Amino acid sequence: MNLEESVLDIMRSVFELDEVSTNASQKNCERWDSLHHLMLASELEDLFDIELEPEEIAEMTDFTRVVEMVKSKM
Amino acid sequence: MTTFVFRNQTVEPFLGDDGMTYSGYGDISLIPQDVDRYIWFYQVPVSADASLLAQEINSYIGQLDLVMAAADASKPFIIFSLANLFPVRLTGSGHEVEDAIVDFNRHATQLASQYAHVKWVDFDEFVSSYDSETLVDWKYYLMSQTLLNPKLKHDFGLWWRRVEEELALVRKKCLILDLDNTLWGGVLGEDGVDGIKLGGDYPGKSFTLWQEALLQLSRSGVILAVCSKNNEADVLEAWENNPFMVLKREHFSAMRINWNDKATNIAELADELNIGLDSMVFLDDNPSECEWVKMQLPQVEVPVFPDKPYRLMPFFKELVERFFRIYNVTTEDLSKTEQYRANALRRAEQSRFADLDEYLYSLDIQIDVLPADEHNLPRIAQMTQKTNQFNLTTHRYTQAEVQQRLDAGWLVYCMRVSDRFGDSGITGTVFLEPVGETGVNIDTLLLSCRILGKGIEDAFVKTVLNLLRLDGYRELTADYLPTAKNGQTADFYDRLGMTCVDTHEDGAKHYSMPINGIFEIKNCYNIRVL
Repeated sequence: MNLEESVLDIMRSVFELDEVSTNASQKNCERWDSLHHLMLASELEDLFDIELEPEEIAEMTDFTRVVEMVKSKM
Repeated sequence: MTTFVFRNQTVEPFLGDDGMTYSGYGDISLIPQDVDRYIWFYQVPVSADASLLAQEINSYIGQLDLVMAAADASKPFIIFSLANLFPVRLTGSGHEVEDAIVDFNRHATQLASQYAHVKWVDFDEFVSSYDSETLVDWKYYLMSQTLLNPKLKHDFGLWWRRVEEELALVRKKCLILDLDNTLWGGVLGEDGVDGIKLGGDYPGKSFTLWQEALLQLSRSGVILAVCSKNNEADVLEAWENNPFMVLKREHFSAMRINWNDKATNIAELADELNIGLDSMVFLDDNPSECEWVKMQLPQVEVPVFPDKPYRLMPFFKELVERFFRIYNVTTEDLSKTEQYRANALRRAEQSRFADLDEYLYSLDIQIDVLPADEHNLPRIAQMTQKTNQFNLTTHRYTQAEVQQRLDAGWLVYCMRVSDRFGDSGITGTVFLEPVGETGVNIDTLLLSCRILGKGIEDAFVKTVLNLLRLDGYRELTADYLPTAKNGQTADFYDRLGMTCVDTHEDGAKHYSMPINGIFEIKNCYNIRVL
């Protein structure tokens, strides 16, 4: 599985949604609220074995930025 | 199944969303009746001030009593024990916080032993497998008020599923025991009355301890029975003459000592004792006997018997926890429920808070209402972006957009809330758009979930309304726009006394009310207008 797919997989599981599109963002995805955002960050840290700073977590407002952030940490 | 969770921190990552509704942080003002069960899951808060912390923890006892008195006593009420995830001790001698935690946990276990619908969950059992560094991720605590590390949510999920299964288990009534290598070591028919291993050194010592434990189990009300392939005369002699025998003939309510197959024997025992097969647990060291019974009588529980005598005590513990955990109350009849209610109410009266108002009073809540200025504007805009639950219209604004509205003559107030436990900062705002000469419309009203409940929303709005009245405003209008998250505010304006003048198909409601007279605010808050 490539990185994008892994991230989508994590997002589906954290948001408990059957489908999460690559266009998903905090604005257009209702489940992506502040609580699920932190759960997402925690899952990403755990599964990719990376550390995210609070400021970086705040920047990950859509799928593309999440992927970029994870890439930059690996 | 629907569950209402009383909590003082973010525990959603652990208990999940499915059927769960969460109280506000430390909020006990809302106690719903139409749920299937309640959970009380408080964490020890964070503070370096030990006596303040101890005081806060002490107040949980009174809060729990208040909640229990108002909750539906026919529904299960699950109380998590308090665990200190990150103990900070400046001196070696201060035990205030530990003592307060012990007091709370003792109170909770007392409730559980007293009332059948109350279950106590030992959260320490989970916590004790980790060190403080693993338990707490300060980054997440400071970002989202969850002291328990969200990375532990998978481990927690596994543990919690097991606990839930245990809670759902029906207590068993009867323990059926094999004899050779189960109640004593060795085989009676071969080793003789004095040859079997019981008493003295290992391994006999293990079986003595095991028999003593089983005796206690029988004294607590569990029926013991024997099912063994043996000569009955040999067994009776062993009971009579082996000096180390703890469990004797009189401790067994029924027995089948013969060479018949064990499934048949167990079915007969169930008949004789007049209890269901599903309330029986069968112990045998012989795996093939166990398999046979499991196959023939699937209703009977057949745990795997330990293969080493030194594993008998941990096995006993497991046995008790899985099948025989004893609650003092055995019948959950209605009169018990009524009695419980009365007691809980009485205790609530005796405990430190007579009612919710007194509890609120004890919190020393300070509400500062202040107009928007350059210092709080970023925070106000941020709240409009982030707040979902207590948000009547969910209009999202950037800082520039808020500024534009201020320039257009809107009135924007925010509020800062603190209590004896600390400062929550700016946690609420209201945007008011003047309409005509003396009218004003509430464009935005929101409160951060951090401070929800405790009646603060009511105090805040009424304070603002009193200000508006002094400024000469006489008519108020407001809207409720429903979203997936803000259901709890659906009737906020109704409760405030406003009149709903228009309802849309999508659930949106339009309200109005004259502003005349002073809006009375409960005196449990210290309110300042700055």
